[in-house]
Amino acid sequence: MEESRPLLAVLASLVLAGCGSPGAPSRHELIDSRDNYDPRSLDPALSTDVPTGRAVGYLFDGLTRFTPDAKVEPALASRWDVSPDGLTYTFHLRAGITFHDGTPFTARNVASSWYRALDPKTKSGAAQFLFPIKGAKAFNADSAKTISGLTVRDDSTLVVTLAEPLAIFVKMLAMPVAAIVPSNVAGNFGEHPIGTGPWKLVEWKHDDYLLFAKNPSYFDGPPKTDSLRARIIAEPSTAVAEYESGNVDILQIPAIEASDWIEDESKKPMLMSTPALELVYIGINTTRGPLVDPRVRQAINYAIDINRIIERLIGGRGTRAAGVVPPALSGYDSTRKAYPYDPAKAKQLLAAAGHPNGIDIELWTSVTPIYLRIAETVQAYLNAVGIRTKIVQRESAASRAAARKGQTDLILKDWYADYPDAEDFLYPLLHSANKGAGGNVSFYANPVFDSIVSASRHELDEGKRNALYRSADSIAFNDAPMVFLYFYNELYAVQPWIRHFVPPVIFNGQRWTDVSIDTTKR
Amino acid sequence: MSRFILRRILLSIPTLFGVLIVAFLLLYVAPGDPVESMIGERADSATIARLRAQLRLDDPLPSRFGHYVARVVTGDLGQSYITNRPITQDIRERFPKTLQLAGAAMLLATVIGITLGVLSARRPGGLADRFALGVAYLGISFPVYWVGLLLILLFAVTLRWLPPSGYGSLRFLALPALTLGMRSIAFLARMTRSAMLEALSADFVRTARAKGLNEWFVTFKHALRNALIPIITVLGLDFGAYLTGSILTETIFSWPGIGRYVVNAISRRDLPAIQGAVLFLSTVFVLVNLITDLAYAKADPRVSYE
Repeated sequence: MEESRPLLAVLASLVLAGCGSPGAPSRHELIDSRDNYDPRSLDPALSTDVPTGRAVGYLFDGLTRFTPDAKVEPALASRWDVSPDGLTYTFHLRAGITFHDGTPFTARNVASSWYRALDPKTKSGAAQFLFPIKGAKAFNADSAKTISGLTVRDDSTLVVTLAEPLAIFVKMLAMPVAAIVPSNVAGNFGEHPIGTGPWKLVEWKHDDYLLFAKNPSYFDGPPKTDSLRARIIAEPSTAVAEYESGNVDILQIPAIEASDWIEDESKKPMLMSTPALELVYIGINTTRGPLVDPRVRQAINYAIDINRIIERLIGGRGTRAAGVVPPALSGYDSTRKAYPYDPAKAKQLLAAAGHPNGIDIELWTSVTPIYLRIAETVQAYLNAVGIRTKIVQRESAASRAAARKGQTDLILKDWYADYPDAEDFLYPLLHSANKGAGGNVSFYANPVFDSIVSASRHELDEGKRNALYRSADSIAFNDAPMVFLYFYNELYAVQPWIRHFVPPVIFNGQRWTDVSIDTTKR
Repeated sequence: MSRFILRRILLSIPTLFGVLIVAFLLLYVAPGDPVESMIGERADSATIARLRAQLRLDDPLPSRFGHYVARVVTGDLGQSYITNRPITQDIRERFPKTLQLAGAAMLLATVIGITLGVLSARRPGGLADRFALGVAYLGISFPVYWVGLLLILLFAVTLRWLPPSGYGSLRFLALPALTLGMRSIAFLARMTRSAMLEALSADFVRTARAKGLNEWFVTFKHALRNALIPIITVLGLDFGAYLTGSILTETIFSWPGIGRYVVNAISRRDLPAIQGAVLFLSTVFVLVNLITDLAYAKADPRVSYE
């Protein structure tokens, strides 16, 4: 299904020859083409995938939310006070807000929503993001009847006590799983959601589209456009055709096609770019054979010409990684230099590690076409310095499962932020508490790194926290538990009649409330 | 006849049971884990363990299979692990759309394919024959993907006559039906041609012509009727295949049918959804085969199931 991409390049040139651009539509409906599979559910507690997370963002609010440029701002909570020890958060909620069905929103809804998400019967796969609340973990494990850290003081005040200080807690509250739902939701809530968000669900035709209508009484003012349709288009080439026909308003351009769009003068004015919080990397399992030796892992980093991969394979749409913290987030260190391409140094390090005749390893990858191309290129570079590499290609669920079980030497994969903070890269990807399923498929365990990351989680001062992020990132960079490839810069095409669309840095950062259609635009 | 139908239906029960066992075991040995898709990228092992226990994934295989069969025989295909929706509801929503697409594709194939075949056989080597041969070559050798994208490009993007994708009225149905039916058109054209050539050179056609019947009547009433058996075979097999596997066409045209449902379920290791859909589609296939067999008897009085 995925192998049509090279073909599309040919087709795209035919399209260009064939048509001019369509004029502005007369509709008062925004049409999104980004979802390529049906959301799991519209129940915030079940949100573990991007289509679900985006839709939850339209229908619901959390106490906080993200702006398109990934800043956290107040949503249902108008403000909050944090105790000096960082353990107690007092949230002051907005008054006069109602759910789509007219019932008023109060602090009790916040408590019941989080109880529900944490209830083992809900089978949420994202409940762990609420574990920072004192007693939440025990409640989720069914070993406590209540969550001790949650207190409803009055209708508009909620007091949350954390198990330990966590500076980024308010960011976690902007995640879909922490969104507020009415008390006593029905069994088919995932199909018939009721929130407080800017959009109400009109209908959901599975594998076809989700249709939303604006919520005229949204507390922040109703959306500028009457309705929003999220079409579910499985095949990227089809999404391109829909865009070319003027049937959809925005298009996320697949990495593999980026250069075709950038080089086309007629398309340039439509393009928008944003640094996605996506790290593309090769996890090196630091517990397997020769990979235990950091010199071997550094050798792998030196052996690959990553700048060339960025330039040739993804049309220059990446920022070279020198660590795991993306340039868009605080804690990024712009002075750190990435491993240069130096095959001689790679061979030297291999020899020093006792492998003058090279080593044999496996590189796992999913079937995504762009990753297969990158894997093949990496294989050629590694073979050239004596790291004899065999590519193992599995579909993504299978390769991910193998990596989590520690069965892969190298695995090419990506990591998308759940919330915009350096912690969401350093902690899950490399802290030893998250080995395997937690995200650390390198099985990296460095006590110094661990202690700095743990300290950064507790540090309330932003400047000090960023300094800790930088030093942890630097340690990991030198230990090379991965090949640091690049941070992807997302490329969007936006129709000329669309106003005020800002491509989101974080997946749920754009809720279409300010976006409008200029029907006079030709 | 009714005894035959009853016997065939009874015989299909062990077949379907076999399907059930194979679907169950294949998923058991395939790598990947449904819980992986329920938790996303960042999870903790306690959550994984609890979800596995809740879904009874750690129970011994025979006990899991027993539970499943006990439910299936009552008509309950269970709930999706991923979406929590009942599988029967999912199938009820999607299968009619696949049926619609497959039906339209077969209609196109029957009308265009048989017409081309008959015309070819009327004058072998003639203009119509050469045209039909060209169509057949293209239809068989072009991959569905290529045909689908080309049709979108031509009729939707360049000419703007039809929408590129989506589900809806006839306008939405035209391109996917043509894409899906392309192979059948080609196949039927060739099959009809050779069956017709054989029939047209048979003694009874000569007799019919000798009786002074008009050529039109001879071609359709006598020759085509006798050429029907291989045509029905092709139609039956293709229809069965389209109902169960129009995945590529559904994907290219964003057609919300059962093919995409199955692929999604497989990629998320949604065991109840995969098993339910495979079982349902196998039943459909068995039924289509049965109908094909009954059609033989209808087409050729010499075929009898008594």
